[in-house]
Amino acid sequence: MSAPAGDPDASSVRVLVADDDADIRDLVEFKLTQAGYAVEAVPDGISAWEAFAANPPQLAVLDVMMPGLSGIDVLRKIRESEHASVPVLLLSAKSRDSDVDTGFAVGADDYVIKPFSPRELLHRVNGMLARAR
Amino acid sequence: MSWDGFTDGLRSFVVWVMDVSSVPIIIYFVLINSSLLLLIGLAYLEFRAQQRRRATALTWQGAGMAPGVSLLVPAYNEEAGIVTAVKSFLTLRYPRHEVVVVDDGSSDQTFARLEEAFDLVQVPRELPAEVPIRARVLGIWVPRDGRTRLVVVRKENSGRSEAINVAINAASEPLVAMIDGDSILEPDGLLHVTRPFADDPTRMVATGGAIRPVNGSRVVSGRIVRVEMPQTWIPRIQLVEYLRAFLLGRTGWSRLGGLILISGAFGLFRRDVVVEVGGLDPGSIGEDFELVMRIHKRMRDEGRDYKVEFVPEPVSWTEVPVTAKVLRNQRRRWHRGLWETLWAYRSMLFRPKYGRIGSVALPYYWLFELIAPLLELFGILIVPLALLLGVVNVPFAILFLVLAYGYAVLVTLAAMVVDEWAFHKHDRWRAIWQTVAASVLENIGYRQLTVWWRLEGWWSSLRGKKHVWGVMTRTGFDEEAA
Amino acid sequence: MIVGGALLIGATIAVLGGGLLLVLAVVTVRSRRRSRNQRDQMLLSPLRVPLITVASGEDDDGSAAEQLTWATGVTRTVLDSNIVELLTKIRGGPGDQLIRVLEVHGAVDAAVSDLTHRSSVRRARAAQLLGLARADHTVPLLVEALSDESVEVRNSAAYALGLIGDPSAAGAVLAAIGAPDRGLPAATAAEALQSMGVGISEVLREGMRDDNARTRMVAAHLSGERSFTRGLPELRHLLDHDTDLTVRETAATAIGRLGRDEDAAVLSRHTVPTEPLSLRRACVHALGELGDDTAVPTLAALLDDPDPRLAELAASALLVLGPGGGAALAGHEDDPAVRTARLMASLQKANA
Repeated sequence: MSAPAGDPDASSVRVLVADDDADIRDLVEFKLTQAGYAVEAVPDGISAWEAFAANPPQLAVLDVMMPGLSGIDVLRKIRESEHASVPVLLLSAKSRDSDVDTGFAVGADDYVIKPFSPRELLHRVNGMLARAR
Repeated sequence: MSWDGFTDGLRSFVVWVMDVSSVPIIIYFVLINSSLLLLIGLAYLEFRAQQRRRATALTWQGAGMAPGVSLLVPAYNEEAGIVTAVKSFLTLRYPRHEVVVVDDGSSDQTFARLEEAFDLVQVPRELPAEVPIRARVLGIWVPRDGRTRLVVVRKENSGRSEAINVAINAASEPLVAMIDGDSILEPDGLLHVTRPFADDPTRMVATGGAIRPVNGSRVVSGRIVRVEMPQTWIPRIQLVEYLRAFLLGRTGWSRLGGLILISGAFGLFRRDVVVEVGGLDPGSIGEDFELVMRIHKRMRDEGRDYKVEFVPEPVSWTEVPVTAKVLRNQRRRWHRGLWETLWAYRSMLFRPKYGRIGSVALPYYWLFELIAPLLELFGILIVPLALLLGVVNVPFAILFLVLAYGYAVLVTLAAMVVDEWAFHKHDRWRAIWQTVAASVLENIGYRQLTVWWRLEGWWSSLRGKKHVWGVMTRTGFDEEAA
Repeated sequence: MIVGGALLIGATIAVLGGGLLLVLAVVTVRSRRRSRNQRDQMLLSPLRVPLITVASGEDDDGSAAEQLTWATGVTRTVLDSNIVELLTKIRGGPGDQLIRVLEVHGAVDAAVSDLTHRSSVRRARAAQLLGLARADHTVPLLVEALSDESVEVRNSAAYALGLIGDPSAAGAVLAAIGAPDRGLPAATAAEALQSMGVGISEVLREGMRDDNARTRMVAAHLSGERSFTRGLPELRHLLDHDTDLTVRETAATAIGRLGRDEDAAVLSRHTVPTEPLSLRRACVHALGELGDDTAVPTLAALLDDPDPRLAELAASALLVLGPGGGAALAGHEDDPAVRTARLMASLQKANA
């Protein structure tokens, strides 16, 4: 599919994707790679935090529900780090907005509720990056 | 009296004792292990049900019916870990929960750390006195952001039970969970333990969640990121004990409808019911056990339709003692609490009104938990003595060993199979061999020592010694954490 | 005392053998899990790319979806269960495409016959598949499965009915909660009913008149959540007369959410000291939610209540009841309850 509108060098935009669910991880990685982003995908919270700390991406997509460190925990650590301004999108399972409330309280920029539409996720990622610039 | 005369006398005494007791002792050991095996059998059935639930994997996100939960966290001199712990409690996955920290007159920076981390402001609130309190409450603080659901109460030091009672008064949600500041909760642990309340909202009064030793595992920001075996054998053996008794035994009891023990590390209660029975008893040493018994008694006395359930999923992880000294204190305290509570509720034994609690669970606890160390000590002393004096032959001694200890190892292994099959928390092969080794090693020294410690605890209660254990154990944990 | 050699040998063998068997069982359980996972992954690996392509909505020409329909045998079984899992995670066009693959594989038809399978896991999974595939022609079968002997199947059937969202099943879901010994867990029922549209308000009204307390509670709770004002007469009745305290509290909360002005009087009635404290608190909170200023005298009188929480709740409620409420606080300005309520309100406002 096409690169993000108005962004000729999307491949230089690095996105960190963390989800313990291989299906979603692969799916998001595939969708974002097709859109021209450079994606690093990791299977749990602690790898997410390590990957973030080693080489901060331009944007992070974090699943809330991961074993060990959850997406909220990683977000909390990101917001306490020196790269606190990196936009973060949370992926959260269908719930009564509680994860979303906690997520925004801790500093999430956007969220997508599972089950989700991959197309919508891409639009949101594009939008967040556009706003961040 | 000559030496020969003495040994002859001793021999005939031991012969007499053996005549009277050998068969009962063996029967006892077979019974205790068989009963555990039966409980594991019941647990197996329960786990199959759990497994079916998992195989049909309907993830429940707590939508709709999830009742609000207040996490009650008593804190005494926990400046090192309190902020991380509270942050991790606040970000548990749950639709509606608050954290109530009660600073039990800490002499360190516990409160200052909280005040700084959460930008606390004092509120002039007065606490309801639903559960009677003796100690003076010094003040109540909330975060300035008006949004973080945290309440911090400071009070004069008066012990864990009263700190929890103050927290109950300060709690505003319909369910309360009593947890220690050094416990680590699974991120979705609350969803597991509240599920029975959501499924049966008008009857469920208490649930308990499984506890596991955290020693050796990798912990980051108050979460377990990698489960590992403990580094040394004392906690490894405790891991085996937890597997067997805490997890599988209780699951079996839950299925029987006779769950009477919800461990202090993770119990979830209806707040109104706890208030109704008067909260924790600050004078009791086995305060959690005592509370559950009191709830059972009240519900049955009033003929109410109620339920207490155990959730086998590991919900909470706790640091277990690594030194014999701390372990000794813990076991003495546990056994003392067991004795005092069983004794206090002896009137419930065999009364039809109390159903399976009175007819099965309590007699079981009397026989196989309370009296067990006494009988075991007797066996430990008499069999070697008899062997030494030639009263029994070697085959008998071996048979005794096989039935007493071999069978115990069997029970542990059975617990392991169920655990591996249902949870498989430890994913390294080495963990299996270490667990098998621990289940054997447990019977060489460890078990005999705990028998002795438990008897010490019982004895000190019978002599009416005042207990100071609560403070001692805490100090022990602190030392260990340092 | 002499012990027969046979007994000794027998016991030793039994214990040692048993121990060995159990260790073996642990190893087998673990190895089997691992090898099954490996097998599944191996079978799936050639199909992984087309599957992800379809699921991410990048299969513009439909070629990847077609490739998926060719799978046969064990591969197809493994693929289908993977698709079912994916359907819980994604929605929109890609979801419909995956459902098509399931239909071509005959998985939907197989699930229909699996609803009567001997194994409860099979029955439960079948029900879930029908829900995820939005197989609305199977609603009657799923309704039947609500009274299955296994709780997993009942849960799955309710889940599926919720996904399909056909309000005609609402009555059956609600009634299933109170089935003796085979009740549907209240949480699942509530979640399923949540997604059934507005057509269920009459069913909920009826549910509030049910004999079973759990059924009444779920019906009352949902009436409040979904703001079905037609259920108000029943909610008032529950608050006034129900035998179960939890049900009464639920009704109070629901009335606070959707009640009319005249409900201030209904809620006020239950703030008197003869009522259970938890119900009084629920009613005071609900009065604030309801926002009708005829409640001001009741709330003002509660500022002096011996229970400090009730007094604080009353003060908080008065603060949101407009000028009349604020005026009623006069003379109580120094009460801890009023000061606390004011402080909490200002903290919340400052950070809103």
